[in-house]
Amino acid sequence: MRSDIQLELLSDPALLGSVRALIRAYLACRGFDKERAQEVVLAVDEACANAIRHSYEGKPNGMVSLDMRSNEQWVELHLEDAGIPAPPEHLERKKLETPTIEEATPGGLGVQLMYQVFDEVRFQPGEKQGNCVIMRIKRPYRKED
Amino acid sequence: MALEIETLTQDGNQIIAARGEVDLYASPALRNAILEAITKTENTLGVDLSAVDYMDSSGVATLVEGLKSAANKKLAFVLVAPSNSVMKVLQLSKLDTVFTIKDSLEA
Repeated sequence: MRSDIQLELLSDPALLGSVRALIRAYLACRGFDKERAQEVVLAVDEACANAIRHSYEGKPNGMVSLDMRSNEQWVELHLEDAGIPAPPEHLERKKLETPTIEEATPGGLGVQLMYQVFDEVRFQPGEKQGNCVIMRIKRPYRKED
Repeated sequence: MALEIETLTQDGNQIIAARGEVDLYASPALRNAILEAITKTENTLGVDLSAVDYMDSSGVATLVEGLKSAANKKLAFVLVAPSNSVMKVLQLSKLDTVFTIKDSLEA
């Protein structure tokens, strides 16, 4: 799959808004309507936020790389950091069910949102260290294709 | 767009009106506003999310924390007129039915 855009960003939460704007524009040019793009932007934002919060423990001086790839059928986003490897049990897919107020917990939602939105989510160790997540989604069908 | 937060007091109720994007960067400000308002509220704390055009899971986590803190103090915690994108993330999180959601705080 060819790489369309490669981005290196600091693990600074203040940059997330700019990254979302770029991903939103990218998805539009790959045929996603606003509503679908909104969900995908959310899921990628969650992946970036996890890299910042967990891999780099909130320190704003780590590097995160985002590679946006596509072919005729798929859009694939690779996000890599060089931070602390995530514990595998934090990356498992869980069945999301509506909790009671007592059961509701503030954490752990981001990874589940990624699973909810993408067709495939794959976590693997980063090339040298850290974490890599590959998120894949089918491109919308277009008549002219 | 950065997050703007305004807190209004009305008949013993507090309303926090948020405007802009609630993400990892901005959610601590919303959290502080909610936790502070809970100490001043007598009846109901409303969080007006009609002008929030983006919310991520850190925003959702902030609302869950607010709901639980309010419940501990026997206060009502109401989401007021959440925008479509807020509703979307609450639905994806399966938390839309955990919150009390109203169009306005007026009876």
